[in-house]
Amino acid sequence: MPKEETVICVACPLGCEVSLTIDDKGEVTKVTGYKCKEGEAYAIEEYRNPVRVLPATVRTIDSKHPLLPVRTSKPILKGLMLQGMHELAKVRVKPPVKIGQPLITNLLGTGADVITTWNLID
Amino acid sequence: MKLKQREVDVAVIGGGPAGLAAGIKAKEEGAEHVLILERAEELGGLLPQCVHSGWGLLYFNEDLTGPEYGARFIEKANDTKVDSQLESMVIGLTPDREIRTASSKYGYSILKPKAVVLAMGCRERSRGALNIPGTRPGGVFTAGTAQRWVNIQGFIPGKRIVMLGSGDIGMIMARRLTLEGAKIELVAEILPYIGGLVRNQVQCLRDFNIPLLLEHTVTDIHGEERVEAVTVAAVDSNRNPIPGTEKKVECDSLLLSVGLIPENEVSLLAGVKLDPITGGPIVDEFRQTNVPGIFAAGNCTHVNDLVDNVSFESELAGASAAHFAAGEKLGKGKITLKAGRNIRYIVPQTITAERDVTLYMRVSEPEEMVRLKVGDIMTTKALRVVMPAEMQSIPLSLSQLSKLKEGTTELTVDVEPVKKREDKKDA
Repeated sequence: MPKEETVICVACPLGCEVSLTIDDKGEVTKVTGYKCKEGEAYAIEEYRNPVRVLPATVRTIDSKHPLLPVRTSKPILKGLMLQGMHELAKVRVKPPVKIGQPLITNLLGTGADVITTWNLID
Repeated sequence: MKLKQREVDVAVIGGGPAGLAAGIKAKEEGAEHVLILERAEELGGLLPQCVHSGWGLLYFNEDLTGPEYGARFIEKANDTKVDSQLESMVIGLTPDREIRTASSKYGYSILKPKAVVLAMGCRERSRGALNIPGTRPGGVFTAGTAQRWVNIQGFIPGKRIVMLGSGDIGMIMARRLTLEGAKIELVAEILPYIGGLVRNQVQCLRDFNIPLLLEHTVTDIHGEERVEAVTVAAVDSNRNPIPGTEKKVECDSLLLSVGLIPENEVSLLAGVKLDPITGGPIVDEFRQTNVPGIFAAGNCTHVNDLVDNVSFESELAGASAAHFAAGEKLGKGKITLKAGRNIRYIVPQTITAERDVTLYMRVSEPEEMVRLKVGDIMTTKALRVVMPAEMQSIPLSLSQLSKLKEGTTELTVDVEPVKKREDKKDA
């Protein structure tokens, strides 16, 4: 049975609700509701590969700053974000840490590293 | 750092994104001694707590997080030898540019710089500004306060949270709190459209199945010691709650994301005139206020949605302050910009028409298929949609400005509907 998926386009402030029809093989067969070519392309890509940068914080030790902000070095599948948070909860960093330093390599096999986004110098 | 009487060319009040960009630019434009006065313990303003990405797309052509964006400017400020005095609160500013600063570290000090840049940023509207009835329990916070707790101090404000207002900080905190284990029961927005960017609606609310109720508001807060529930109701087109639509939602916290107010207490002390719409100083294209030698930069001038524009505008203020400090004459803003059809405000409020200038503006209402029209001198290409949450900018070149008639004192910007091709066929 073909199924329907909706995606809200973020390419412009209009925020079109784009409907995609997906066949049994998971292929997009029909796209409606977009108002420009960019919207069509966005919706298909967002359905096939919905990825986001995961920004978060990790705990520190021996620092006057309790937390250090981090992010993934590239976008990861949005469905993996909560699982990624559980990995981050295990991390403890000790100063000094420089911006861009990897704390976890290849997070959950995504190929993305978790890197620091601030210098931790006490 | 010991405070002594110092010769300061440009003093910048505030060390956030606006202050940093203004300070660096002032230095680059030749001001010898540039000093940033900052009340916090570190530079960067709000940037270190804005751990999410989406910063720098215009300025660096990269998708950075807030801390990364801030760190680049802090590094540059250090490299260019912009001086800073931290943990110092400016408590006075006179029309002849005397700054009084109080600090538990350095004591009381008086500074008389040749030019001043106001870069105090903005603050959040709180419960008091909304007049929400109900009890006064703990658990009612602004989204930015929650952001500081979650991202800097390391605790969450509550576990079951209702959000009022759909500003960007609120939506971003809805995602952040969800990822940290809290449950966002719903986001209520009084307007028929979101207060922030579509990207945040999708990536912060929809990604996590957080219900967004447009044309809804909080009409009551319940609980004695701590919030126990709030009442949410639908509103009519006049934004009045519709009787019978009330729904009690159990929660332990109410977060407010209902707008930002430019911070200008210091500006007022110096006699700086504010624009009632923007809430910030009335400025010319040099970002000079009505008080000579006092310039304004960033969100204390008007609240931006993108930090990149704060940096661009603050560089203008910083450069102008450096030129003023060097004794250069700045042109007079003799043409006043008027907000026409569906325009809420325009910054700068006056221009010289003697050089290239970029106008920044917000629309009053969302509108599809429009053009922006600047008097008779310029019309933008068609825009699919304009939204109050997304600032519009129009660059005007000197050659366009030279089309203005001699003696022009007003220039109106309008949002003009564009007729669709189908409509033309029908006509």
